[in-house]
Amino acid sequence: MSATLANPFAPPSISFGPVLEQKLAGRVTAEPRPASDIPTLVTDAATLKEAALFLRDDPAAAYDLFLDLASVDRSKLPGDLAPKDKTRFQANYILYSTKRNEHLRLRVNLPAKEPAVPSLVGVWPAANWFEREAWDLMGIRFEGHPNLQRLLTHNGFVGHALRKDYDKKQRWLCTEEDLLQTELAAKTDDPADMFETMTLNFGPSHPTTHGTLRVVMRVDGEKIVAAESECGYLHRCFEGMSETHTWVQVVPYTDRLNYCSPMINGNGYVRAVEQMLGVDVPPRAKAARTVLNEFSRIMDHLVCIAANLVDLGALTNFWYAFQPREEIYGLLEACCGARLTSSYARIGGLAKDVPENFVEWSRSLLPTIRDRMADVDGLITKNKIAWNRMRGTGVVSKEHAIAWGFTGPSLRASGVAYDVRKDKPYEMYGDVDFDVPISTDGDNLARYLVRMEEMRQSMRIIEQILARFPKGPINSDDYRVILPPKEMVYNEMEALIYHFKLVFEGVKVPPGEIYSYTEGANGELGYSLVSDGSGFPYRIKVRPPCFPLFAAFEHVIKGGMVSDAVATLGSLNIIAGELDR
Amino acid sequence: MAARVVTVTAPTPTLLERLYLPEVFKGLARTFRHLAKNLANMKGLPTIQYPEMRRKYSERFRGRHILKTREDGTLACVACYMCETACPADCIKIEAGEHPVLAYEKYPTVFEIDMLRCVFCGYCVDACPKDAIWMTKDYELAFFDRRSAVLGIPELTEKPSDTGPDGPGYGYRPYEGESPMRKAGQFEPSGLPLLPALAERGLAINRMPPPPPPKPAAPPAAKAP
Repeated sequence: MSATLANPFAPPSISFGPVLEQKLAGRVTAEPRPASDIPTLVTDAATLKEAALFLRDDPAAAYDLFLDLASVDRSKLPGDLAPKDKTRFQANYILYSTKRNEHLRLRVNLPAKEPAVPSLVGVWPAANWFEREAWDLMGIRFEGHPNLQRLLTHNGFVGHALRKDYDKKQRWLCTEEDLLQTELAAKTDDPADMFETMTLNFGPSHPTTHGTLRVVMRVDGEKIVAAESECGYLHRCFEGMSETHTWVQVVPYTDRLNYCSPMINGNGYVRAVEQMLGVDVPPRAKAARTVLNEFSRIMDHLVCIAANLVDLGALTNFWYAFQPREEIYGLLEACCGARLTSSYARIGGLAKDVPENFVEWSRSLLPTIRDRMADVDGLITKNKIAWNRMRGTGVVSKEHAIAWGFTGPSLRASGVAYDVRKDKPYEMYGDVDFDVPISTDGDNLARYLVRMEEMRQSMRIIEQILARFPKGPINSDDYRVILPPKEMVYNEMEALIYHFKLVFEGVKVPPGEIYSYTEGANGELGYSLVSDGSGFPYRIKVRPPCFPLFAAFEHVIKGGMVSDAVATLGSLNIIAGELDR
Repeated sequence: MAARVVTVTAPTPTLLERLYLPEVFKGLARTFRHLAKNLANMKGLPTIQYPEMRRKYSERFRGRHILKTREDGTLACVACYMCETACPADCIKIEAGEHPVLAYEKYPTVFEIDMLRCVFCGYCVDACPKDAIWMTKDYELAFFDRRSAVLGIPELTEKPSDTGPDGPGYGYRPYEGESPMRKAGQFEPSGLPLLPALAERGLAINRMPPPPPPKPAAPPAAKAP
């Protein structure tokens, strides 16, 4: 018994407490996984809550961070991959332990008819929106969920769009009644309430939401008594569309996830597929991806800080921060041919080698970034107005940040030093020296300071990699995954056949699944991929870093002023593109 | 763990900084320094006054597509449907016909790209095995109606104006510089192995026959498989 349970946690192996070991005996089993994937435990719906509580509370497990809920409809899996028992749906809870630096997948197999599991909102509050999303798109019911409404689609939607038997040609009209109907908004003024409260609708088209987000607030004067947020206005079926395209064709879609740092998404996605394929990319591609990731991160942070400061009335910083961003875009365009819609990453390498003057060009951008950052720093960091606006507003404590599933700069500003680049190094992050900035305040000022420091660390990373930028090929020479060079395609029959098969059939990713994660600009960007061995992805689930951030937004702003809510929204950096997918 | 973490703390303002007014002037000094610098260097401003000024894009810019032609002016496209298949946005429509010139075999009777659907990812250029579709740096793609956004063969075929002095110039393309497509007589196999699946089935693939040697003494350029 103990062998089956202790198995998935190697290394480091953990042993369950003897009491729980007996309690959960036979009801939680380990599933063998390839080394590239994260350990997996399988349980059933009846045991789920017990197992979840145990995994959270037992010091040997300590999975405190709820990262993702990836649901899969396995009804169209071919032959030997199809579920042996009569189950159809799968709910995969992706967990992370900040203490042990370990990921875990907790899996429940569910029947075809009325799949239901107990809600884990009471165990990890971050599960709230993830469960709503799974209910909305996959139709898994979460018993005991406080508010199991649709999230990404509207209330006029019939069916569950990511089920394999859903007819994707259907169209559902969204009327005003189908939008978020909150008790909050419908509540009439309480006559007993001495100080009259009113409902304030904020967004979806509000300049400070920087996207299409909606928050309904109940305000008492300037003070927010209660709030409820809604997303889905920019939902464009990324996950559903991916299933109808080949693995490589998904890359342009990933650019549109976090459009402030498009390259990070594409590089994270192809890395996930490469892990499934077992393909190793040449060092030059790794170095180029790392440098471009860091430039994208700098861009994203610049946009976040600049836009946040504009919301606070400090417009000048916007022009200063956007100048280096503008110049970085020039470099990205020289690499891939587009400033924003980069589509640069390919499975097994990059679309083209970086330009000849890439190293010098990249180096020449750093002084501008430093100078303009110094401008912002000089104008803001000791500015009394900025202090009064940012200090002590939007405070997220360490415990809350973990409970709400924060990752990235927002988590680090609350005092948890979790950075995928450092804790689970990928590409070239293991070979470079950099620090993880944290702050213990957890307020808007702390998030601003953490982002500023992160940009400095990103520049350190870039400098170190540029100093020893590897020469050699940019792409893998495995032409089953990447198009052969044109010189060969034009002139040789074999290369043409490889080329032809890749274009027409796509990359044949071996059957299996993976949860792959990289550090996006806003936090952990996770891809849960399922392949059935055909050239098309069977299921792609993205863990967008700002999804849990925006889910927690309504709690963060409660008790504050409306104008502080604007500052908080900006400093959490919610990007509607990846929030709604 | 502690060694690699740097804790950022908000700096405590000194008395002078808390007095506020000195800091205001320091901030103003910074902004006015920028103003003075910009006034002295009007040409170096980062802002581009479009359309009088235009951004210089790289040689990889992904703009409007062009269809390349052979030396005799016919389209290099052989209507193999590779770009149509590779397109993630389903914006290319091809219909194939039999070419009157026997050597060309197949050609597109219809080749349409819907510029409103296109996401300009460049996959069609990557997919083309005949070097027939390139992209230009033309990004000014505005139309008065949806129908005119669907470009057909006449609009897509490369024109001298595309590469002329006022034209957009070539953008994303399979190679920069000389074409790697070898002419007969230059063939050298790189020794890429057959796809295992094909080899297993014993599928013999005819290599390009060795070209007639230009000089009797020249060694054969390719060896038999």
